[in-house]
Amino acid sequence: MKEELTIAWRNLWRNRRRTLITSASVFFAVFFAVFMRSYQLGSYDLMINNFIESFTGYLQVQHVKYHDNPVIDNTFELNDSLLAAIEGLDPVVSVTPHLESFSLASSGTQTRGVAIIAIDPENEKRFSDPENKLVRHRISAAALQQLEQHAIPEKVMAKLRKNLNRSYTSPERIERELGLKTTERDTLLSLILKATAVPHGYLTAGDNGVLVSNRLATYLKVDIGDSVILMGQGYHGVSASGIFPVRGIIKMPSPEIDNKLIIMTLTTAQQYFDAGGKISSLVINLNDKSPRTMRTGKAAVNALLKNNETTARTWYELNPILYQQIQGDSQSGIAMLALLYFIIFFGIFGTVLMMVSERKREFGVLVAIGMQKTKLKRTVSVEMLLLGIMGLIAGLLAATPLILYFHYNPITLTGNLASTMEDWGMEAVMPTAMVGPYFYWQALVVVIMVLLATLYPLHKIDKLKVIEALRG
Amino acid sequence: MKVLELKNVNKIYNSSEVKVNAVNEVSLAFEEAEFAAIVGPSGSGKTTLLNLIGGLDTPTSGEIIIAGTDLSQLKPSQLIDFRLKNIGFVFQSYNLIPVLTARENVEFIMTLQQWPEKERNERTEELLKAVGLGDRMNSRPSKLSGGQQQRVAVARALASRPKFVLADEPTANLDSKSAATLLEIMEKLNREQKITFIFSTHDPRVVKMARRVITLEDGRVISDELR
Repeated sequence: MKEELTIAWRNLWRNRRRTLITSASVFFAVFFAVFMRSYQLGSYDLMINNFIESFTGYLQVQHVKYHDNPVIDNTFELNDSLLAAIEGLDPVVSVTPHLESFSLASSGTQTRGVAIIAIDPENEKRFSDPENKLVRHRISAAALQQLEQHAIPEKVMAKLRKNLNRSYTSPERIERELGLKTTERDTLLSLILKATAVPHGYLTAGDNGVLVSNRLATYLKVDIGDSVILMGQGYHGVSASGIFPVRGIIKMPSPEIDNKLIIMTLTTAQQYFDAGGKISSLVINLNDKSPRTMRTGKAAVNALLKNNETTARTWYELNPILYQQIQGDSQSGIAMLALLYFIIFFGIFGTVLMMVSERKREFGVLVAIGMQKTKLKRTVSVEMLLLGIMGLIAGLLAATPLILYFHYNPITLTGNLASTMEDWGMEAVMPTAMVGPYFYWQALVVVIMVLLATLYPLHKIDKLKVIEALRG
Repeated sequence: MKVLELKNVNKIYNSSEVKVNAVNEVSLAFEEAEFAAIVGPSGSGKTTLLNLIGGLDTPTSGEIIIAGTDLSQLKPSQLIDFRLKNIGFVFQSYNLIPVLTARENVEFIMTLQQWPEKERNERTEELLKAVGLGDRMNSRPSKLSGGQQQRVAVARALASRPKFVLADEPTANLDSKSAATLLEIMEKLNREQKITFIFSTHDPRVVKMARRVITLEDGRVISDELR
């Protein structure tokens, strides 16, 4: 093997410029492929971290019929020992019970069908964290009137007027929306925050109040301290009704959800629906989102469910559309990479064609003096692999520090894009995915590509006629 | 001792319209330590005959027997191995491996035969010194003159101690001084080490030095003269 390697290596440098150009094309293909893929996978990670961990959870235990028919009758008894057993499983980070159903909500003359999610207020902070979604600032007409009395630049006032009645969950959001300059921020921000501040409150354990989503609150014309009347169908067809004080207004990222959500405590909901001890799901977060952990986690949870009434489902079974969107996007990314590699393949193939045509005579001489064709084929394969591997290693080495840097220091988005992402409960950043299996895939693709290109010289060597080759 | 025997060897090329009998009923035998030249005008079949003897081409009919082995009985891969162990080649245009040094070119044949490293080194040095290139062992072919490259080719041809060396127009690309030096070296190796050399040539200097001259015309042996 040593002489094959020696000849292959030296052959590479016979035409230094051509070797460098071919290796450079592999280098750039690998560099861009790895970098692009890293950003793509990083965005999926972010989406899963932010969305799945705050809404669906990686796993949910549900009544077997609940997924297809999510009604209050398809709920199950919350069992403390089961809860403790699931919490004790190795990959489980948190377990949060939910009871979800529908009712009519009304206040004054306004009525609307709403979704009710019942939670354990303290436990939920580790999951969807509704407290963080409480409306803390609102640009009301009164706030504008108050601000007009101060010397606020007209440009800022125009922005404030444009966003009349808009609610914000944090000072940072209002600051970003107004796009204040550094100098303006120091003088104006505290003034604006003071004028726009609204009271806010969260639920306590056993609280009989509710949190109302922002758009729903506007529709029902309710605010903190007001009450909403709920009326609907409880467990096994009983009539459910009650009056509930509003403790806080929450702003949900999705307008659809923001139009119809009411959150209350689990105990209050169980009383309201006459569903004592019942929950519709146990939402479970895991310490690792790999499909393998998901599979083993699901199997471990299912092993604890000793009846046929409940089952564990993964987030992609619960959110098939989101999962398919990620898969579809991932496939389109792979298609782009395939196109990139397809182009590079022809670059390599061009080099191979020239190499074969230049060295036909030399191949003939080697076989004439006694080199077996298998050995010659091995030498040519090693040469081609070295050509690809040089570009591959250089590409991976160049991409690694950049990927690591942007993984730990992701690009921070600003402006409307940042606000939209935050509205959807996602961090407004663009991180790269940590160096992982996609690296090995690029390596494998390059090796396969080179081996495919090598098939041509191997075929030519196989069919080589020494006399014809020696004639040149 | 007979190292090579040809019995009624024919090579017929069937081109689209014309049938060419490049080698026609040739029967020859070569003894150990011969220094033989195959001569004849262009197109007389010299190179074809040499290719047949070297197992690079197969005869249409007839037998070529080298050290008791009929080449027609060998499979292609066996034939390559047979060439490696029994036949040395010197080509008109040297055909050294350009990426290997003179030493590595000579050593290459022995590496293919998996000789131990120590023996390889000793044999390589011995051969390169014998052809007068003891001081250019680490030079690549591109750094050597035509005559020096052809001397490396002779050393390479002798590396595996073949039964005979086939040299196709070895002096054709050389100036007269280089050609003379090369011929002297080959003649000396033939005389001292009893190595059989078979040349195809137009060069009168080679013919003059040869102890046997076989003349071909239209693929037939028209004279076989011992001197």
